[in-house]
Amino acid sequence: MERGEFAIIGTGEVPCGHFPERSEFEIAYTVAREAIRDAGIDVKEIGAVVCAQHIMSNPANDYNTEAVFGRLPEAIGARGCKITCMTSSGGASSFSLRKTAEGILHSGETDTVLVVHAQRFSQFTPNEQAKYFSVAGSDVEWEVPYGMTYNSLAAMVTQAYMTHTGTTIEQIAAVCVANRRWAMLQPNAMFNKKEITVDDVLSSRMVSYPLTSLMCNVLADGGSAFIMTTAEKARKVCSKPVYILGEASDYSHRTITRAKKKDLEKLWEFLAPVAKTAFERAGLGPEDMDIYQIYGSYPCIQLIVMDALGMWEPGSTGALVASGATSPGGKYPVTTNGEALSFGHTGTGVGIALLVESVRQLQGKAGKAQVEGARFLIENTGGGAFMDCHFTVLGNEIPG
Amino acid sequence: MSEKKVSIKDLLGLSDEEMRKPLPNPTPWSRPFWEAAKQHRLVLRRCSACGNIDHPPYPYCTACLADEHEWIEAQGKGTLYAYAVNYYGVPFPFWDDMPYVVAMIDLPEGPRMISNIVECDIEKLRNGMELEVVFDDVSDEISLPKWKPV
Repeated sequence: MERGEFAIIGTGEVPCGHFPERSEFEIAYTVAREAIRDAGIDVKEIGAVVCAQHIMSNPANDYNTEAVFGRLPEAIGARGCKITCMTSSGGASSFSLRKTAEGILHSGETDTVLVVHAQRFSQFTPNEQAKYFSVAGSDVEWEVPYGMTYNSLAAMVTQAYMTHTGTTIEQIAAVCVANRRWAMLQPNAMFNKKEITVDDVLSSRMVSYPLTSLMCNVLADGGSAFIMTTAEKARKVCSKPVYILGEASDYSHRTITRAKKKDLEKLWEFLAPVAKTAFERAGLGPEDMDIYQIYGSYPCIQLIVMDALGMWEPGSTGALVASGATSPGGKYPVTTNGEALSFGHTGTGVGIALLVESVRQLQGKAGKAQVEGARFLIENTGGGAFMDCHFTVLGNEIPG
Repeated sequence: MSEKKVSIKDLLGLSDEEMRKPLPNPTPWSRPFWEAAKQHRLVLRRCSACGNIDHPPYPYCTACLADEHEWIEAQGKGTLYAYAVNYYGVPFPFWDDMPYVVAMIDLPEGPRMISNIVECDIEKLRNGMELEVVFDDVSDEISLPKWKPV
């Protein structure tokens, strides 16, 4: 990919939370139209529709089958569509969907791709969700028989990180507080009504020591969409395109015990070279970023990703977050939609929502959460049992 | 945490099936591990070509792709790398076990394993503490290796 070869020109999003009456199809059609209208293009310009996998799809009316078999282009009136497909890499899907879109654009078959995500977890019981997420994050043969869950996976990494860096549980809780403050500024966030304090986080129910319930994310219904195009077209049709300036990836493992970086408390050493490559490809450095859109899904992981950026001393980011520097109004805005912990966990959609928020920020459309004058930001995502990482530098201009 | 009174099974009227704990379903390449575990032996798959130990095991060596391998006896010793204590939000079959410890255990042979720490006060858990393997006979076919303090 050339620097700034592709751009995102419009986004759509629905409120995130418990909306059992709103089907995943309704979500998909709604966010698609909103993205098309936001981009200011004609629906017939869309030449490809790329859908994110719907987690725990309902076999009786299977969104995944419908999406794979071309329901979306028909339903939204995309009569110029030539290509449709579904892509997933779990939590890293924002990246794999975008890479798929880039590949399609690069092929020259079309210059306009619509990417859509929709999720409705509320159709499943809490135990069905617990069962699914115990096997999603863990190995069915080697880990699940021991009662391992996603939360215990994150809890072990947190426990190791705290032990080895001296980060305190209050600092871990401060990440949840900062995320909530950003979510308070987001009309579509699941938790945007009430601020929380470090004491609230620490006194909430213990789930998987050292993680309390407010340190664990809540599954939600939601969805979002974006329109991606070539830079050439973007400049013609959009007053403020958001360019993909640099991106980089790495994969580590499926089973956490086989992670490439065995010292999980130093997981940033696995992530840091990837972030560095993304910055180099963008021709920018971490200090040039106006926002750091960190996907962690758990508070400790947000800190570990921040540790990897080359901006702060690894292990010191807990204190930074506790100082309020990453909260609204702070010097270093981090994760401006509140992410899985406060915006809501929509399966493959957490990272897509963060990407959509990144685009809004760079287009000046982020409303109360707007970081004034934001030009460049770094966004990351990852999936599975912390299996991989992807960093992307985005900007509303291509630096000289 | 409050003392347990009633089983989640009675509380919610769950069936035996809903309360059945998930067990390993051995693959052709992992069966020797579980057969040894049944005899309360901890074994590891070592590549005969390059000496790499794979755990979890795969059909061929993940370092050199060779098929030839042997199953070596592990010492049955380990150290605690990190742990979590589950107090809430686990699948129903594990509900009555709460609180229980899920941990990563480092073996001197190289691999790291996920397992439970048993026969240990939660307050006494320390990263780096020495552990030894014990076997929990959970069914006629399966014994799960678990770990307790030395």
